[in-house]
Amino acid sequence: MTSVLSHYGRLLLSSVILLLVVISILFLLLELAPGDPIQTLVGDVPVTQALRDQLTASFGLDRPVWERYAIYLANVARGDLGVSFGTNTPVAELIGERIGATLALTVPAFVISTTGGIVIGSIAARTRRRWLDSLLSGGSVGLFSLPNFWLGLMLILLFSVTLGWFPAQGKAPYGQDGISLPYLVLPVITMATMELAYKARVMRSSMIESLGQDFVDTAASKGLSSRRVLWRHALPNALLPMVTVSGYSLGHMLAGSALVETVFGWPGIGQLFVGAIERQDTFLVLGVVIVITVMVLIVNVLTDIVYGIVDPRLRARVSRSAAPRSLRGPRTPAVSEQQRSRA
Amino acid sequence: MTVQLTPVDDAGTAAPPPPDGGPARRPATVWSVFLHKPTVWIFGGILIVMVLASVVGPLLAASPVSTNNPTFQPPGGAYPFGTDNLGRDYLARVLGGGRISLLVGFSVAALCLTLALVVGGLAGYHGGTLDLVLVKVSEFFQVIPGLVLALVAAALLGTNVTLIVVILAVTMWPGVARIVRAEAMRISQLGYVESQRAAGFRALRILWSDVLPNAMPPVLVATTMTVARAILAESGLSFLGIGDANAPSWGALLNQAQPYIGTAPWLPLFPGLCIFIVVLAINLLGDALNDALNPSIGKVK
Repeated sequence: MTSVLSHYGRLLLSSVILLLVVISILFLLLELAPGDPIQTLVGDVPVTQALRDQLTASFGLDRPVWERYAIYLANVARGDLGVSFGTNTPVAELIGERIGATLALTVPAFVISTTGGIVIGSIAARTRRRWLDSLLSGGSVGLFSLPNFWLGLMLILLFSVTLGWFPAQGKAPYGQDGISLPYLVLPVITMATMELAYKARVMRSSMIESLGQDFVDTAASKGLSSRRVLWRHALPNALLPMVTVSGYSLGHMLAGSALVETVFGWPGIGQLFVGAIERQDTFLVLGVVIVITVMVLIVNVLTDIVYGIVDPRLRARVSRSAAPRSLRGPRTPAVSEQQRSRA
Repeated sequence: MTVQLTPVDDAGTAAPPPPDGGPARRPATVWSVFLHKPTVWIFGGILIVMVLASVVGPLLAASPVSTNNPTFQPPGGAYPFGTDNLGRDYLARVLGGGRISLLVGFSVAALCLTLALVVGGLAGYHGGTLDLVLVKVSEFFQVIPGLVLALVAAALLGTNVTLIVVILAVTMWPGVARIVRAEAMRISQLGYVESQRAAGFRALRILWSDVLPNAMPPVLVATTMTVARAILAESGLSFLGIGDANAPSWGALLNQAQPYIGTAPWLPLFPGLCIFIVVLAINLLGDALNDALNPSIGKVK
């Protein structure tokens, strides 16, 4: 029990360190960036020296870098992400308004891509009809190679411009709050497609590996139906790499929301992020990255917990990633090393 | 002493084909298996055509910046890909865009491969602090979506093609390095490396002559996929308007085409189709290479 506790303690610590590293890298980048924050703040008008001095002092820009860095970290630790330059609103408030819209896309896309990937991958692995496997595998390579924002544009072209079935822009009719279902369809499809194809690929190879194991033969020789062997015996084992992949996929989708939301004019944090970068709204950029990172880290910890529940070999283990290789179980699928490398 | 042991060394290196054809047979069959797949013929051919078109095409096609043509001409006739909102020949623009997209894709992969071989090889062979650092760095890039970091970095540091290549390579190399490391770790335990160590060869020499060549197969597959991922990532960045304004890639063309999706659907169609075809071809070639290297994987028993 204590080893489990210390494991999660270490996991939490490494998450905090990771967050610190992200903030530090971004802070450094922002320091290195060319450009004049005062000029950005004021806009395209000449700045008098007096005004410049006043602004520099009021924003604390006259202090050394490390001091500003320490102040910022202390503020973030208290949940204060600063104030957006462009709109003069607290960053946390801006993100809070938008995060729901992004989750309304990512959560359904996550559910669809994960269940779809598991089902399609399993069928492709199991079927003895070569054409079906070729169709499903080929199809998933094809979908996996689609740039998802272009898929979004083509969906708009087909379903909005030509057929007029679904609206192309926004999350609800003009002047209406909330999210209306027809507006959700195309962006969710766009976001889910690439992940679904990728998960189907992973699932197929991990299922094939699982079907080759001895316990599957044992189950079959006990006289179980092939369907039961597949879903009750082979599937749970084949799901292990899927847990990892699904964990990472949420991060990919949050990052990818910048693209999908731009295509569909979806007012979520992805669009907020792109806008903040264009306007060089420093604190907003930092704030969005911090929020995305925190969400990714939470998912990462959850993945680790799920992994511990799903994999009995690892229930009493030390650590999934930091442990010596011998502890990771001999059957961690060989493919996963390559598949996980997709950054 | 060294003279006595050279046969061992030669047996370990798979690169030069010895006269008896012994150790070199495996790579030879892999290549012949690879080259005999219909997928490789078809998509390898498509990829070569796309690369040639992007390299040579811009020299033959009309000027991509001249606005002397009618605007919004649909594809056909004198303008196979139509013209855009300013009356520029779209075929020329797509060919020029391909030059940038492919240049970025292959440069990023080459940079990733180099970095990965050096860092991953040393880390896997030696272990120790460097290994720990590599593991942490690659964990970092696995958890934090590279697109977010690349977006911020490119927007802040500048957006010329070289910088974009460097930024993408920085976010992507750990993926390849992990595989180099894992392979180098495995190989450094093998008998032929041990015997070389016993013979007193220096670590760097063993790494260069034995460990890295034998680690190449899975690393090549990962590098192939990196080309595809880099092309996708670059097109994503420039679709968001973060790209070299003087060298519009396919992604930048898509960015500019977005407002005209209803009036001129060919503007978003062609660059996206090009990205799709190239990325698909590269992914399928990577898959085929993987199949050729591990014939047992991917077959239902």
